[in-house]
Amino acid sequence: MKKLLILLAIAVGFSAGVFVVNRAVSREEKVVQPIDFSHALHAGKYRIPCMACHQRVMMGARASIPNIEVCGACHSTPMKKTPGELLVYRYVSRHRQIPWYSIYHVPDYVYFSHRRHVAIGKLDCKDCHGDMASLNSPPTTQFLQIKTQNCWNCHEKHNVTTDCSHCHR
Amino acid sequence: MPKYGMVIDLDKCTSCQACVTACKVENNVQIVSEDDAQNGRAMFWMKMLTMEFDGDYPNIRPKTLPRNCMQCDEPSCIKVCPVRATYLRDDGIVAQIYPQCIGCRYCMANCPYTVKVFNWDRQEQPAEVERTYNPDVSVRPKGIVEKCTFCIHRLQTASEKAKAEHRDLEPGDYVPACVEVCPVDAISFGDLDDRKSEVLKASRDYRAFGLLEELGTVPKVRYLNAKE
Repeated sequence: MKKLLILLAIAVGFSAGVFVVNRAVSREEKVVQPIDFSHALHAGKYRIPCMACHQRVMMGARASIPNIEVCGACHSTPMKKTPGELLVYRYVSRHRQIPWYSIYHVPDYVYFSHRRHVAIGKLDCKDCHGDMASLNSPPTTQFLQIKTQNCWNCHEKHNVTTDCSHCHR
Repeated sequence: MPKYGMVIDLDKCTSCQACVTACKVENNVQIVSEDDAQNGRAMFWMKMLTMEFDGDYPNIRPKTLPRNCMQCDEPSCIKVCPVRATYLRDDGIVAQIYPQCIGCRYCMANCPYTVKVFNWDRQEQPAEVERTYNPDVSVRPKGIVEKCTFCIHRLQTASEKAKAEHRDLEPGDYVPACVEVCPVDAISFGDLDDRKSEVLKASRDYRAFGLLEELGTVPKVRYLNAKE
């Protein structure tokens, strides 16, 4: 009985350890999106500005992942009839939202605002998200990992506040 | 740089406890179990302290004192924090950084007003409460000290909005939840460095006093009471 308990304790310990490791590396976890969306085509070739689809960048904390109403503004009828576009059209015609996965997660004790960084701080999207206009398929991992050190480095570089309570809450 | 302060008029206060409720909801303060509450672990950032009872039964009226963090100018809590999880901001607010806190509770022991509360446990909250969590404020985990921060999340969003509109922060832009909800306007809040502000006028009233002022903590929350 005692041995069994010890074994059980070890097993629980291991599983807990694995759980912690998994959580720690979740930043590098690869995400596969439901549609093979090409930023290179939209933002690169056709030069659609980021804010045309991510409409709340200048207005609020979150940049917003476009919903089907935004996609439907152009894709209400299929343009080129590629398999990817037909998939979008299916979502649009059935009025169903595309289940995009969010890659960037900020913990609830951090206040990160896109308006603060883009509208007030005049940062370029590229600074944190990389050159999205060159990507043929959706990003699978975070470009600039969400870590305090990364925030700190940039705040020091641009000589903006490093007061903890300006971002933590 | 403004210097935020608060004046609570006890002559106007009707002890309705709207501020207590508003604070608890606004800041996602945990509701503890009955056993924990009896052990003195009830969590309130704004608490009603009963001072005296006016009148005779049945026409009795309790006289209470709403007590939140005093946001001292010489805070004793920050002097003992080993990890700088609590510190005095330039605008006079004593901030509490939850991810930085190690839960040693030195600050709680050193606060003469006993305003800080500790998350002894993380208990399951009623479903209605969990559904209505304020997304602007984090839910603190077990083992973290927390306290009133003058609703600092409101300051963060208000100053950002003002900056985006290319203007300075105006007096009505940022008010904590307790001030906003008070039905008799007993709580005034604002910039103590602004000569025109109502809060400065109130703090210089002949009825004004601060709690335990003799300790030299220089509290920025002051009270008005004609009987004092």
